[in-house]
Parts: sequence; C-alpha cells; structure tokens
Amino acid sequence: MTDARDIATEAGMLAPEGTHHPGLPPAGIRRAPEGVDGLTTEHLIINMGPQHPSTHGVLRMIVEMDGEEIVSAEASIGYLHRGIEKLAEHRQYNALGTLMDRGDYVSGIHGELASALAVEKLMEIAIPAKADYLRVLLSEINRIASHLVWFGTFGLDTGAMGQFLYAMRDRENLVDILEGITGARMMFNYVRPGGVLADLPAGMAAKILEFCSGFDKYIEEHHDLLGGNEIFQHRVKGIGAIDRDTALAFGLSGANLRGSGVAFDVRRERPYAAYGEMEFDVPVGSTGDSWDRYMVRMEEMRQSNRMIRQCLEGMPEGDFTAKVPRVLRPPEGEVYAAVESSRGETGIHLVSQGGDTPYRFHYKAPSLYALQALEEILPGHLLADVVMIIGSTDIMLGEIDR
Amino acid sequence: MLPDETVIKHILADAGQSDADIQETALGLVCTLAPSVVASALAAFKESELDFATLVDLMGTDTGEEIELSYHLRSFTRDEEIHIKCRVAYDSEISSVWNTYPSALMPERETAELFGLTLSGHPNPKRLLTTDGVEPLLRKSSVIRTLQEVRDR
Repeated sequence: MTDARDIATEAGMLAPEGTHHPGLPPAGIRRAPEGVDGLTTEHLIINMGPQHPSTHGVLRMIVEMDGEEIVSAEASIGYLHRGIEKLAEHRQYNALGTLMDRGDYVSGIHGELASALAVEKLMEIAIPAKADYLRVLLSEINRIASHLVWFGTFGLDTGAMGQFLYAMRDRENLVDILEGITGARMMFNYVRPGGVLADLPAGMAAKILEFCSGFDKYIEEHHDLLGGNEIFQHRVKGIGAIDRDTALAFGLSGANLRGSGVAFDVRRERPYAAYGEMEFDVPVGSTGDSWDRYMVRMEEMRQSNRMIRQCLEGMPEGDFTAKVPRVLRPPEGEVYAAVESSRGETGIHLVSQGGDTPYRFHYKAPSLYALQALEEILPGHLLADVVMIIGSTDIMLGEIDR
Repeated sequence: MLPDETVIKHILADAGQSDADIQETALGLVCTLAPSVVASALAAFKESELDFATLVDLMGTDTGEEIELSYHLRSFTRDEEIHIKCRVAYDSEISSVWNTYPSALMPERETAELFGLTLSGHPNPKRLLTTDGVEPLLRKSSVIRTLQEVRDR
C-alpha cells in the first residue's frame, strides 16, 4: 500500500527509515499498530513552516502523524543560509564581529566575543581588565534581553498573551541601554579583538543600576504571570523530556543541557573575560522536561542581573582596549574559543595560515545541536506540543543556517 | 583539560592504529588518524574509561590538496577534550559516525554538502543548507565573486 510516508520519502522529504538512533530509548510510537482485522490508520504528513509564527525564524518541520500523535519528525533548514563561514574567509579579522552579529542576531555580543577570543588566543593579545569587565557586563545585559525574547515568545507558543508585552517592555529598556553603549540595537560590532569599542558613556551606570533594581521585582512578576499559571504548567511539565544520556549524545549545551541535569557552564568550567572573578550560581534541572528548561532560564536571568551589579561595582580603571595594529595578522595556527551564549556553547574554530584573513572560520552553533535533538524527542508527543517543545529549546535559525 | 596520552595510545592500538600522530597544540590534544579507522577509533573512545560521551563539534577544512575533517570530543565526567583529525580526498566517501555519536546527524550532512563528500551509513544523507546543483561552497576552488563580477562592480 502506498501511504503518505512513502510518497514523502520518494519526494525526498523524509529519511526512509527515520533518524531515530538505535542506541537511545524509543521515544514513542514508530508505526501505527495493526488494529482490528489488520486495519491501520493512515498516516498524515503535515508540513509546518517555513513561514510559521512560532518556528522562531524560518524553520520547516515535516511531521508524520498518526491521529494526533507524532510518529516521526524531520527538520528542514537552510532558508537563512548566507554563507557566514565562507564570507569570513574574505574578511579581515576585525570585521568578523559584524558577521557573528548576524548569526545569532538576538544575542550578538556573545558571537562577537567568541570570534574576538579566538583571534586573541591566536595572537596572544593581553586584554586590559576594564575591557574584560565591559565584555561581561554587555554579555549579561544581552543575555537577559535574549532570554526575555525567549520568555515572551515561549508564552505565546503555549497560548499566553499578556506576559509577552511585559517581557518586551523590559527588553526595550535593555535594548535602549545597549544602544546607548554600542550605538546599535542589535548589530553591535562592539567587542573587537583587543578590547571593546568604547567605554560606558556618562550616566549609563546609573541607568543600568536603575534597570537592575526594577528587574529584581519584574522577574518575579514575569514568573508569577506565566510559570504560576496552572494551564501553562500542564502544558510544559513532563513534556519534551530529554534524559541526561540523550542530552550528551546529541551534544546539547547551555540551558538545554543544564535542564537535563548536567552542570556544565562554559563561564564556570572554562572561564573567559572576567567570569573567573564573578560570583554566580549555575542552575540545574533534574528531569530535562520543558518546565526544567524554563526554570533554568528564569534563574539564569536572576544570576545575570546579579553579575551586572558585580561588574558595575568592581569596574576597574584603565583602558578599554589593548593597543592592536589596524590590520591584524595572526601567526599560523588553529584555535577553538567558546563562550556561553544565551543558547549554549557558541564556539569558533579558527584556522590561520598567516595573512590578514582567516583560512577557515567555523561557527559551532549550539542551536543546530538542539534542533537535531528535536527529531529524536518529538515522536510520541501531540501536534500541539511541537511548537511548545521548539519554544522550550530556544533555537535561533540565524545561527543554525549561518 | 588534556587526557592522558598513554591511555589514548592504548585505545588507538586496540582500534587498529598503533602509529597515530598525537600532538599537543594551541587547539589542545590533536590526534591524526587514517580515515579508515576514524569511525572505529571514535567508537573506542566513547566506550573507553575516558568517557568521551559527546561530539561537541565537527568541521572540515579544505587544505588545498584534500579535505581535513576534525572531530571535537568532550568528556563531561572527566572534563577532558580531544580533537581527532583525518584527511580524505576530494569527492570521496566518508563513513558516518552517527552510530557512535547521534550529534553528528546534521553536522555531517552539512560538512559533506559544503565540501562535496558523500556519506555512507548515515540515516538521512541529504543536503542540509543548500539546494541541488549548488557547488561545494566551502572548497577553496569555489569563489564568492567571479573575475567578471569583480570587474563589473
């Protein structure tokens, strides 16, 4: 019998045998069981996206359904592919930050920082203490801004509307602060090899502190509004659970990994910039379901707020950038530099053969690994959960497609 | 950070590569293997006492003569990392490590597509980022602007 799955496979939409890994526990039903008199239900292939408001970019999911239940799911990506890695091979080293901004465009500072760290590692540039503090300060401001976008849209995915507006109100304040420091709202190009673009302008520290004291209260309001809602809790608790072994096998990082109970944070395990001097907790979940990932991210925002205060209190005097040549020419070599971005471990694998452009610039995007894990997690869930599980992993198509 | 070299040599000898080139570089511990033994060596690393449970990253580099594949492994229990490298010819077939590391699912598709390699033993060896007919973009022979386009600018 030719069914929808065979047609979809023939058209190249789905993998013939699916992508379920034999070494991992079965996530749900695979094929409809034979019913009475050998009758089976017909499977439906549902195409979600690429233009879909809840896919957080241009993601296309092809879902095979048995009634309301998902049998297999496959992600189709590439709609945002701009060839960042290829373009980087034709850019000078201090222009790499502009490309990274356009990768993960909601938390640009982390991408810039990863590429700057890689270049500095290659050239062995010593960074002034003030630049390190400014990098941490901006990273944490950007992390809250990015998590607020996730918080707002995650609520929308589950059908809640009100908290989105409150999240955007707070994010707007942060984006204004970022604009005041860097001159841009999203495409900052603020972190450069050797330091940062500029010092804090006059009066900015007071403005940031004002936000911090307000946010102490607002974050609890946000949590009460969404996390305190019983309908929301029913939608996320026990849904999209990723156990520890599956999380490690799929190379998850960031809040997705910590939600599954692995306390690995690049800021703690491989300290960069001034994170070695910061006091912060690394929240960890236990069951790895959507609720755990939600709680981890909410706690991360509180910790970020704490670190912003520490940065402003301990801000050292001195230069905000080291003296670096106008055109950077690192020696031959190969390095890997990673930062903890809002979505996980963003890594830059940089190969130099001398000269003023990289020989190979590889952007390790944490969202790509979270996305491929979805193909393993989604089977067994309901169609209505797809959007919500995607939301809970906080993927960013800009960095998946690069 | 860096795993014990003697243990690594021991694991590799069991996997059939007794004369592996192991070097400590700015990248970390880099171990260069023959392409035919990479899949079995990675499986041995995962099962070994070093517990490399995660493939953090997978990438290719066009060296100008061949494609260098680089596998970045991490052990979360021991907090150690290692980079495994191998060099394969252009247009050749590489065997998938998906069976050992499910996280190679999409990075392998991407690497194969952008460097013009074919995958064997992969559950879904399709293109990932570009459409049919697009040349292997990350090869050095692929230019972002042709000479004519540069003149016309």
